[in-house]
Amino acid sequence: MNRREFIVLGSTAAVLASGKIALAETWPSKPVTVISAYPPGGTSDIITRLVADMLTAKYGQQFVVENHAGAAGAIAGGRLTRSAADGYTFMISGSAPIAANKVVQKNLAYDPQVDFTPISVIAESPALLSGSPNAPAKSIQELIAYAKANPGKLNIGNPGAGTKGHIAAALIGQIAGVEINHIPYKGSPPLLADLLGGHIDFALDAPSNYLPHIHDNKIHGIAVTSAKRLPELPDVQTVAEQGLEGYEQTLWFGAVGPKDMPADIVNKIYEAIKEWSGTPEATAKLKTLGLTRVASSPEEMSGIMTREIDSIRPLVEAGLVQPT
Amino acid sequence: MDIFSGLMLGLSTATTLSNFAYCFVGVLLGTAVGVLPGVGPIATISMLLPFTFGLPVDTAMIMLAGIFYGSQYGGSTTAILMNLPGEASSVVTTLDGHEMAKQGKAGRALAAAAIGSFFAGSVGTLFIVIAAPLLASLALTFGPAEYFSLIVLGLITSMVLTSGSLLTAFGMALFGILLGMIGTDINSGAARYTFGSPNLLDGLDFVVVATGIFGLGDVLANLENESNRMAGVARVSSLFPTREDWKRMVMPILRGTGIGVLLGVLPGAGVLLASFSAYALEKKVSRHPEEFGKGAIEGVAAPEAANNAAAQTCFIPMLTLGLPGTATMALMIGALVVQGVQPGPEILSQQPALFWGLIVSMWIGNLMLLFLNLPLVGIWAKLISVPYHFLFPMICVFTTIGVYSISNSVFDVYMMALFGALGYFFKKVGAEPAPLVLALILGPMAEEYLRRALLISQGDASVFFTSPLSLGTLIVAGLLLLSIISPRFRKVREEGLQEVD
Repeated sequence: MNRREFIVLGSTAAVLASGKIALAETWPSKPVTVISAYPPGGTSDIITRLVADMLTAKYGQQFVVENHAGAAGAIAGGRLTRSAADGYTFMISGSAPIAANKVVQKNLAYDPQVDFTPISVIAESPALLSGSPNAPAKSIQELIAYAKANPGKLNIGNPGAGTKGHIAAALIGQIAGVEINHIPYKGSPPLLADLLGGHIDFALDAPSNYLPHIHDNKIHGIAVTSAKRLPELPDVQTVAEQGLEGYEQTLWFGAVGPKDMPADIVNKIYEAIKEWSGTPEATAKLKTLGLTRVASSPEEMSGIMTREIDSIRPLVEAGLVQPT
Repeated sequence: MDIFSGLMLGLSTATTLSNFAYCFVGVLLGTAVGVLPGVGPIATISMLLPFTFGLPVDTAMIMLAGIFYGSQYGGSTTAILMNLPGEASSVVTTLDGHEMAKQGKAGRALAAAAIGSFFAGSVGTLFIVIAAPLLASLALTFGPAEYFSLIVLGLITSMVLTSGSLLTAFGMALFGILLGMIGTDINSGAARYTFGSPNLLDGLDFVVVATGIFGLGDVLANLENESNRMAGVARVSSLFPTREDWKRMVMPILRGTGIGVLLGVLPGAGVLLASFSAYALEKKVSRHPEEFGKGAIEGVAAPEAANNAAAQTCFIPMLTLGLPGTATMALMIGALVVQGVQPGPEILSQQPALFWGLIVSMWIGNLMLLFLNLPLVGIWAKLISVPYHFLFPMICVFTTIGVYSISNSVFDVYMMALFGALGYFFKKVGAEPAPLVLALILGPMAEEYLRRALLISQGDASVFFTSPLSLGTLIVAGLLLLSIISPRFRKVREEGLQEVD
């Protein structure tokens, strides 16, 4: 839902009349819409709001966050491709609608490599496998044993088809040779609620929403997907440590604009993200969310997108990652 | 946070100058749209939604909530003075309220309505304080199966309680569910029923449909009756109920409040059912049922208390479960999400100032409404005489701006016009749009939970019957349906709803 747009209807008309070049020079001369691809409260949304607040403070112009959750970010991504490439709309999201869904979702209404302008990968984190209080496994080995003893019965929740949670779980299944049912959710908050209530036994997702509940012993951490343990969860072993050697999966959050977004505006947003995420306050804030700064350039991001898509394609071709 | 410190936090939030002022603006607007037939809270809240995005979340919610419960007060004024229900939920009030006015007891009827509403509103607010944290703590026991069953119950309730034939209501709900399927599939990302139009990929915006049907549709229907709409406005006499009035209205207010509080929580039931049931109950227990319809004060006090109590308590499932029981509550969820707040059990711990501030503001708002509606009733009576030909162009302009500003899309404006025409058509054929609108909201939610429940159970549908909570909910829904098929209840329902028509 677009906001405050009504108040600035008059200025919109004026700005539109002044043309693209004048626009870029004075950017931002009116509120900017930042599309958040997941529901409020999830990691992707928290990052979106942090960046929007930072840009609002820096430019004295409102950067308004709009949530368009659903279909693992494909609804938000589709919306972005249909918005004007005038620098007044961009999206911040996890990797699914920016990369993976090109190959995972057969019916995706856009091609992220063609229809998006990369801005920056803001931060990254491992995915975290956590279990409900009465989950039938407390480690990766127990999980694999359970799946082998109960074929077709292992459910792992993820925040949407093609998200890193989905892909990381599919990889565990591939390496261990067990069948996993992937249960998609609209985002982290509803998945966490079902995990806390014991309606689903396992969740594989970005860690930030789960950390406080693991510290309260309401759910337990089973494994992190990174090569090293997460400083916030020193007791939770990595997947590789638990026997799946070489396993490493990282999830990232990035900003993209629509195709043909003016390069100078792309650079302004990228530079602002780079400068902000380097400050001690921002680093500390990201750390509490289990995140590490990346601040890649638009060119670097383009490469990250390509590598991501290429790494997922074989999994899709093997029939391991499909929307359910 | 315990209730006492919660209320203290709420008090400090609700009494800041800006929140107090917006609460007043909300209830004032609410009373105005309640008084004016043809402008309802749904259309008003949809129109004002874009204006609240710049406000802090607590202020926005306080104002929007004020519009909703304020309209319940305003609706009764028109009902009593002009025999025109300003709001759907005050339809029952016309039965005895206007009769009282014709007998020269308009002031006493207005007082009965306002006092009943105030008492019920206060009790309803108190009920939220107690029940919301309780339900929030239970919310985690609601899994996909339980949510699905609860939504089914809501849809069935809304069908059973709509006037007109059950088959029509069923058809409307089904149509609403189909409309809700338009857009991108939430799991696979596939486009459904979009006919190749990118404009439909996001699905139909609920605000567009609601403003079309309730805003424009009502305008079209009202224009048809414009020439004979100007009924006489009854004169307002003394506002003080007599001792006899007090004696007769105390118990009805208490019973009405009880019914309203409980039915408000039930998804799909809403305020309309509350006022209707309260009226029916009073008629049943009264020692002189023959007076009903001829100016019985019980017939004003009870339904007004009930609809106001329900207007407060229907916030409970919305805030704690994120489940909108009515179209207005769906708008409230929209307003919260835009502000970055996800309604659900976490709202109490994460947004305590919002939650408690909203509750305390409801009580303050009810107090304001008591004063707004009793001493100032003369002004509101004047407002009714504003000719419709001044009003409807304004409604058209504001709905258009409101709908356009949702996503700066002209397509949405065309959609609204289309649904306006549909709304008019529904009115002509006597099909109540409430089940359609509720199904448009609840349908996609039902689908999401149904698919998730079946995915988790690996396709085993027995999950809906093995969870006691889900089974209980489905049994209630089944009984409700059965009761309709039973000829005896069917007669009661038809009689009851006929009276309301």
